[in-house]
Amino acid sequence: MGWARYPCPVSLVAVTNLTKRYGGAITALDALTVEIEPGIVGLVGSNGAGKSTLLKILLGLIEPTSGSATVFDLDVATHGIAIRELVGYMPEHDCLPPDVSATDVVSHLARISGLPRTAARERTAEVLRHVGLYEERYRSIGGYSTGMRQRVKLAQALVHDPRLLLLDEPTNGLDPAGRDEMLELIRRTGTEFGIAVIVASHLLGEIERVCDHLVAIEGGKLLRSAPLGSFTERTGTLAVEVEDGRDALAERLTAAGLQTMIDGSAVLIDLRDERPYDLVRDIVAELGLPLVRIEQRRHRLEDLFRDGPEPATEIAAPPTAGPR
Amino acid sequence: MSQTVGPTRVGSIYDLGYRRYEGARLGRAAAIGALAADSFRTTYGIGHGGRAKVAPIVLGVLAILPAVIVVGVLTIAARIGAREPFESAVPLGYDTYYRTISVLIALFCAAQAPELFARDQRHGVLALYFARALRRSDYALARLAGFGIALLVLLLVPMVILLIGRVLLSTDVAGAFADDLPTLPAVVAQALVIAGVFGGLAMAVSAFTPRRAYATAGIIALFVLPGIIAQIVIGLGSGGIGTWLVLLSPTLILDGTGAFLFGKELPGQLFFFDLPTWTFLASAVVVTAVAVGLVVRRFARIAV
Repeated sequence: MGWARYPCPVSLVAVTNLTKRYGGAITALDALTVEIEPGIVGLVGSNGAGKSTLLKILLGLIEPTSGSATVFDLDVATHGIAIRELVGYMPEHDCLPPDVSATDVVSHLARISGLPRTAARERTAEVLRHVGLYEERYRSIGGYSTGMRQRVKLAQALVHDPRLLLLDEPTNGLDPAGRDEMLELIRRTGTEFGIAVIVASHLLGEIERVCDHLVAIEGGKLLRSAPLGSFTERTGTLAVEVEDGRDALAERLTAAGLQTMIDGSAVLIDLRDERPYDLVRDIVAELGLPLVRIEQRRHRLEDLFRDGPEPATEIAAPPTAGPR
Repeated sequence: MSQTVGPTRVGSIYDLGYRRYEGARLGRAAAIGALAADSFRTTYGIGHGGRAKVAPIVLGVLAILPAVIVVGVLTIAARIGAREPFESAVPLGYDTYYRTISVLIALFCAAQAPELFARDQRHGVLALYFARALRRSDYALARLAGFGIALLVLLLVPMVILLIGRVLLSTDVAGAFADDLPTLPAVVAQALVIAGVFGGLAMAVSAFTPRRAYATAGIIALFVLPGIIAQIVIGLGSGGIGTWLVLLSPTLILDGTGAFLFGKELPGQLFFFDLPTWTFLASAVVVTAVAVGLVVRRFARIAV
């Protein structure tokens, strides 16, 4: 893992009672308190949940109405410049001038980050290669596809070698292949490059593929903050699909002391240990059922938040996810 | 992570992996310098493709052209031994040059100031600047400084051509230089006043809109309207207010400070306003300060 840069435990981000109101009417953040440790952290919530607002407060781009926040133990209210030196930011919206090349804009921004001219040029070439822009980096950004623009936005966030990346909806507007590539880039940034990443997204199905920790917010409040790993261990599901005899199978499994649920032609079994595998094999054989498949499924990530203090029904989840 | 050495990486011989940057970080001052330099380059369209260069180059050439023509005419006149009468006949000298090209200066400001502030807002680039290690006021001041320096270059190049032409044409080079030397501080001061007033107002307008066209129209209106309104008010007979409006008109400030700096009488229409010439210089300082203040305040508050 890449956390060798943090020899002693460091608080990446700590937010206490953070509230942000716009014009008194809209509450973007409502007394949010959460602590985030280094790693790849997914910040999930539906549109308008307060994700962008939180990232902007961490950068000192906007001031909170009340409450406090620290990044690397530095107070955002008083140490904005010191924080921004250590942070790279990829905004949600388009932020690139169309009439210059990717090389020009990224090396210019590297210099604004304080890199000397030669170093800025070298780092620019390096990060553009990392994000997968080659010859096209000399062309004007106006002619780029959305995927290429998103790569340039990521490159400018990386060019000054930050210790923390804040990514706001990095897969916005990308096609499925583009999303996969962007997620892979984020995963590499977090693991190989050893840079802590906070990635805001409304798409749980995407974010779970790269994150090792999830922070869910809704209506400016914290729903839940939990490591992804611990959650999936705890709530695995075994799906047993049979051509017929579904109900009989469920009955026998329940009688054997397992928690079961019917989902279409499949029986879903709560998987807490190895015991159900043998039981399923034996019961299916005994009843002589035409077995189609046995597969391990993960709960919808939505369920992670259902266990939390409040239900999070509006959070989007991938349509292919597992059972309810 | 073990995936880094998987078989998929065999072909990518150029990928040396991510490298840390351990080199120097120059801090805010360097960032401001880099941003000011970028503003200068952008004002002249350097590094921004052919179309971005058309307006600044055309207007720049037009601003320099009168100086070149004057020097050319004087050269010919000197050849035929008639420099003195020609020189007194040519209406262009250090004190009158900027009045003559004031329209070009105004157009240059109206065309190029929006290239900086309006462009940054339009394309959302501000978020990338403000997320870096500098203050919002640093951004505003760096952009202002870059544009101001670009304007000073535009203003001083023709003067340098005039100076070199005049000096080299005389039989006594050192003497001619010594003759012109006392005028130079006034020339530089006049250029600073114009850069401050014209540049400051143009940047202040373009700081308030992401639309280039609106900014350009607004700048031209701000340059032209106060003078017109002043004349109307005076025409209506209420001298007091009209007199003060004169002090807000960039072109009239240019005329007035010129008169003050070169020790001349107020030219043309200004003569009727009956103001001491120093008030124009004071007005120039105030207008510049207010414009800079507005720009800084705007970017301190703008949402990104």
